[in-house]
Amino acid sequence: MTLEPVQTHCPYCALQCAMTLTPSADQVEGGSAVEVAPRPVPSVQGGATSAGGLCHKGWTSAAVLRVPDRITEPLVRSASGVLEPSSWEDALAFIATRVAALQGAHGNDSIGVFGGGGLTNEKAYQLGKFTRTVLRSKHIDYNGRFCMSSAAAAGNRAFGIDRGMPFRVTDLGSADAILLLGSNVADTMPPFVQHLAGVRSRGGLIVVDPRRTATAALTDGDGQSPGGLHLQALPGTDQTLLLGLLHLVVAEGLADEQYLAARVNGWDDVRRSVALWWPERVAATTGVAESSLRRAVQILAAASPARGGNGAMILSGRGAEQHTDGTDTVTAAINLSLALGLPGRPASGYGCLTGQGNGQGGREHGQKADQLPGYRMIDDPSARAHVAAVWGVDPDSLPGKGVPAVELLGKLGGEVKALFVHGANVVVSAPDALAVRRRLESLDLLVVCDFVPSETAQLADVVLPVTQWAEEEGTMTNLEGRVLRRRKALDAPGQARSELDILAGLARALGSEVHFDTEPALVFDELARASAGGKADYSGLSHALLDAEEQGAGSGGHYWPAPVGSTGTPRLFARRFAHPDGRARMVAVSPGAPADDLRREAPVYLVTGRVLAQYQSGAQTRRVDALNAVAPAAFVELHPHLAKLHQIDDGDDVAVTSVRGTAIARARITTTIRTDTVFMPFHWAGDGMANAVTNDAVDPISGMPEFKVCAVSIARADLFVPPQPEEVLA
Amino acid sequence: MTAQSSAPEKIVVVGAGMVGHRFVDELVRNDRSGRFAIELVGAEEYEPYNRILLSEVLAGRADLRALGLPLPDADRVLFRRGVAVDEIDTDARELLLSDGTRSTYDRLVLATGARAFVPPLPGLAGPAGAPKHVHVLRTLDDTRNIAARAMNAKHAVVLGGGLLGLEAACGLRRRGVPVTVVDLDDHLMATQLDRGPSRMLAAQLRSLGIDVITSTSVAEVISAYDEIVAVRLTDDRLLAADLMLVSCGIRAESGLAARAGIAVERGIVVDEELRTSDPWVHAIGDCAQPPTGMTGLLAPGWNQADDLVALMLGREDLDPDAVGDDRPDPVKLKAVGVDLVTMGVRPSQALDDDRVLTVSDGGGNRHVDLVLRDGELVGVTCLGFPDVSAALTLAYDRRTPLPADPLALLVPAGAQGGVAATVSPMRMPGSTTVCRCSAVTKKQIVSAWEQGATTPDAIAGATRATTGCGGCKEVVCGLVDWLNASDPAAPAPSVDTPVTPRNTPVESTT
Ligand SMILES: Cc1cc2nc3c(=O)[nH]c(=O)nc-3n(C[C@H](O)[C@H](O)[C@H](O)COP(=O)(O)OP(=O)(O)OC[C@H]3O[C@@H](n4cnc5c(N)ncnc54)[C@H](O)[C@@H]3O)c2cc1C
Ligand code: SF4
Repeated sequence: MTLEPVQTHCPYCALQCAMTLTPSADQVEGGSAVEVAPRPVPSVQGGATSAGGLCHKGWTSAAVLRVPDRITEPLVRSASGVLEPSSWEDALAFIATRVAALQGAHGNDSIGVFGGGGLTNEKAYQLGKFTRTVLRSKHIDYNGRFCMSSAAAAGNRAFGIDRGMPFRVTDLGSADAILLLGSNVADTMPPFVQHLAGVRSRGGLIVVDPRRTATAALTDGDGQSPGGLHLQALPGTDQTLLLGLLHLVVAEGLADEQYLAARVNGWDDVRRSVALWWPERVAATTGVAESSLRRAVQILAAASPARGGNGAMILSGRGAEQHTDGTDTVTAAINLSLALGLPGRPASGYGCLTGQGNGQGGREHGQKADQLPGYRMIDDPSARAHVAAVWGVDPDSLPGKGVPAVELLGKLGGEVKALFVHGANVVVSAPDALAVRRRLESLDLLVVCDFVPSETAQLADVVLPVTQWAEEEGTMTNLEGRVLRRRKALDAPGQARSELDILAGLARALGSEVHFDTEPALVFDELARASAGGKADYSGLSHALLDAEEQGAGSGGHYWPAPVGSTGTPRLFARRFAHPDGRARMVAVSPGAPADDLRREAPVYLVTGRVLAQYQSGAQTRRVDALNAVAPAAFVELHPHLAKLHQIDDGDDVAVTSVRGTAIARARITTTIRTDTVFMPFHWAGDGMANAVTNDAVDPISGMPEFKVCAVSIARADLFVPPQPEEVLA
Repeated sequence: MTAQSSAPEKIVVVGAGMVGHRFVDELVRNDRSGRFAIELVGAEEYEPYNRILLSEVLAGRADLRALGLPLPDADRVLFRRGVAVDEIDTDARELLLSDGTRSTYDRLVLATGARAFVPPLPGLAGPAGAPKHVHVLRTLDDTRNIAARAMNAKHAVVLGGGLLGLEAACGLRRRGVPVTVVDLDDHLMATQLDRGPSRMLAAQLRSLGIDVITSTSVAEVISAYDEIVAVRLTDDRLLAADLMLVSCGIRAESGLAARAGIAVERGIVVDEELRTSDPWVHAIGDCAQPPTGMTGLLAPGWNQADDLVALMLGREDLDPDAVGDDRPDPVKLKAVGVDLVTMGVRPSQALDDDRVLTVSDGGGNRHVDLVLRDGELVGVTCLGFPDVSAALTLAYDRRTPLPADPLALLVPAGAQGGVAATVSPMRMPGSTTVCRCSAVTKKQIVSAWEQGATTPDAIAGATRATTGCGGCKEVVCGLVDWLNASDPAAPAPSVDTPVTPRNTPVESTT
């Protein structure tokens, strides 16, 4: 165990801020085992992904390493129903026996696997391989489905490839305009805001959000900058807004016809489709004033290189994507970027702001129901043959396409009898979470790998303790498609093991002959081979190469695709798109209404999201005192007009009810939200669990659930009468 | 082709305007099994286009390319462009087309729209017809002709101060043509507006350089060499005019139906299910006269198209419960320089128990009426408040919750923005969060300074402030400057001095 400082990256979000961990000499129980400090990462521009910043979550991340309730030994539920310590051997044997019995009785597909966007590339890869070769089940998907799936589907459709950002994050600094759709980066990834300094100083930041978030407030002008534009659209109308902007691009003759003719298919259809979205109609649907629509278009057009600007970008986040028409909404954003001739031009194009730490890599290497490593499609015979050869199995033995996350969760207790959960806390983070809990409880076997007793782990039959970020080696792929090294600073406590060891052990226990490496560098090498020739090609990379680069060889980072012999591709699309003909594809889209729309009994929209000091389901961050001090509990943000109507005072408990369930949390009254909308963060379990209320209706293309809008009624908690007690309390 | 148990039912749609187009689009989208064979017959030579944007084109604000509507799916729809239906034989269910061919139908949908009404004025009607440069505005050709004339016109007269007439007047004005609007009514947009706001609208138009003459009409159109040169008004005034736009309302295009013996009054009479007197013939859009009345607006026509598709496919989900469905649609004047939107009940139509709020700003040509009934917004007249008109439309349309004081609706969202303005470091309460990213308060920064962190970098090291988004750099620098300036020579106080005199007055402001 060395006490040398170790260079790694934050465990949480996709910005993957670089940090230096210095192990403290006395790694006492309850104390911080390592000191965290930010570290700038060199890149060609001299900028850096995180420009040497960290947010509160990153700064305090070490606290999770030694939380008092850290799981340090395998736990198996005893006959009396409590989770009791067990040896690894017994726990794995128990799982193997149950799995074999269930598969014998109900077939291979009766075992499901639910992965996470926080797992390293190596773990994600191994999990997919384990499911396909050992369990031989088609049922694997992951919580990234709740994150980037709509943007992924739209990106693939338009560009033939899905890399969150097709440019470097440092390129943002040179753009003259950035349209940010439904993303509150100032709270979710604060250091990212440093990259917006340039565009803000030029008055080019446009933020679309139903709330006046900290990010939206960045559009305020001040002494130095002229200010940008905040478009406070009605929830669920982002697509309409985008179609309206594209209409104006056409109407005002701002489309880059030359680029469209040379590089894009489908423009004629798309141009016609937006003839139906004239400004008055769009203003009346979104609530955004016509003058603001016109100004937004002028800003974007003036910034586009075709018209002499320094670059214009359109970036989307969950606010625009987590809808039943999320894929089409992203497509509308991409269409707008193509019409202005942006993708492939300097400091220009469309990008998706990935949320989870390895949401990008997690979807490239086999956790998705329909994909094999390297972003290969599982129903493509040549992809199956290539990957099967790397795995040393018969291609025909690989299962086919599974189903996306929400559908998979819907099968629990039915077709799927057992579930492995890795890096996800679905009873808090999945939509319609009360129903998910009921289904998990009906399983024959629930195995959860976690390092803390998350709400999901507490329901498990077997809990397996795993390593945390500072205790392991691996790689993560950040929001710009850059592959980064995660490094080990200290040993895991107790008997905690890496998932790589667990999966290898389970494979053995299940009698599989397939080889599973446990050394992360070797797993990466195998992943690289499996991805070779695929869209997300990592075959030119290795841990050694990534290490050398960070030690100062200074290539400015390795971005996939990085086929053998190349050092990666920081910017995509300069000359061609990834479809076989090299052209981008525009697809005409039309907006859908929210699946659960306003009615007399449910006259208010609920939108959900994150706060600065908590992360996702909160399993990690809710265990950090410093974060709880800032963000102690769930709350309901509402406008004073709405509050007054319901006689709600600041701090009162408010019940927010949909047909699926109720959440009760403190009122936070603020004029920064629309009068017809309430907001709840989704980090908490219990009474204040926002996902008890959200809708699990999904986008038919991506499988993305509609977290971002549903119709609710609100009431002061003491006046609240539960509508259907049996549903809400179940 | 999917296997079909019986031959598909053949639907012919007459008229490829906004509503016929919508009907075909919806039918194709929803009829996934190919139950219907669809034929669309449209008299206009052009590809289907967005008619309501013609005013934008006239104003030079929209490129013609922005008008072209999606082409009907060629695999599903036989589209006969530039062909009119001349006769319907309802017994044989057969059509005679203008290209001499015939076509049959199982069901016929008439979406023939409307044409501009031209009053029989001396000098306009008569054997010679209208002189040159007298136009109506209904089609792409009309728009092109008016725009072409506008290049040389010295004075245009618009007869009719309704929605369309005013949009056109503003459009012509934007092209630099002096315009006079003449209206027989005593106030403009009488269909939508009460007198008060209408007067203000007229004032706003005058400020744009548009002359408005009310309670007057054109008595005679005077021409020379078959070109208009002037109009004589009913009060005998003469106005020079080398361009005239007649905008006196529309008449349903119902002749075809009438000739076929289908019941026609002001339009083609249809029942709640959009059926005409012939059970195999439907009518939708501007040509139809449903029990709820005719509006000449697009939104009701689109609803009819959607409803008819649902009825034909046997899906009964006409969604009567959907929020806002049973209300008259908002009407927006699409004119440069005037922001006017009206919807629902206006004050003169309000019931005794309705709450009517009026804000009138004569000097600024701004006026708002809000009509509330049972706590809901049932009517809005909004002139000159471009920043809130969209939000008001939404509140009316979606019945979203209203503020206890409805006048708060008139404050634009941005203006209520809750983010505190920057205050000077001195006046800031100690509990103020300076660095959001690491949740560092002013108090923590002050005590770090007291413990020797006297530069911004040192503050960052001690408190983590400025290490996230960097947004607080300025404030932290300001604080450090202020602290250093207030006590340049003082040594850092000892660790156990919790509150210094320096920040006591600051605390008192919390
Ligand atoms: C300049 C302008 C601005 C407007 N602005 C607005 C607005 O802002 N908001 C609003 O709600 N409404 C507006 N309107 C009204 C709106 O355009 C109409 O309500 C709408 O177009 C009605 O659609 P429709 O399909 O019923 O009729 P139309 O669009 O008139 O289409 C009818 C079509 O049928 C064809 N046709 C007629 N007879 C035959 C035949 N025998 N055989 C074949 N084809 C035939 C016609 O050539 C025409 O193409 C505006 C209208 C104009 C002219
Ligand atoms: S922004 Fe994201 S990666 Fe950076 S410190 Fe915060 S949580 Fe970690």
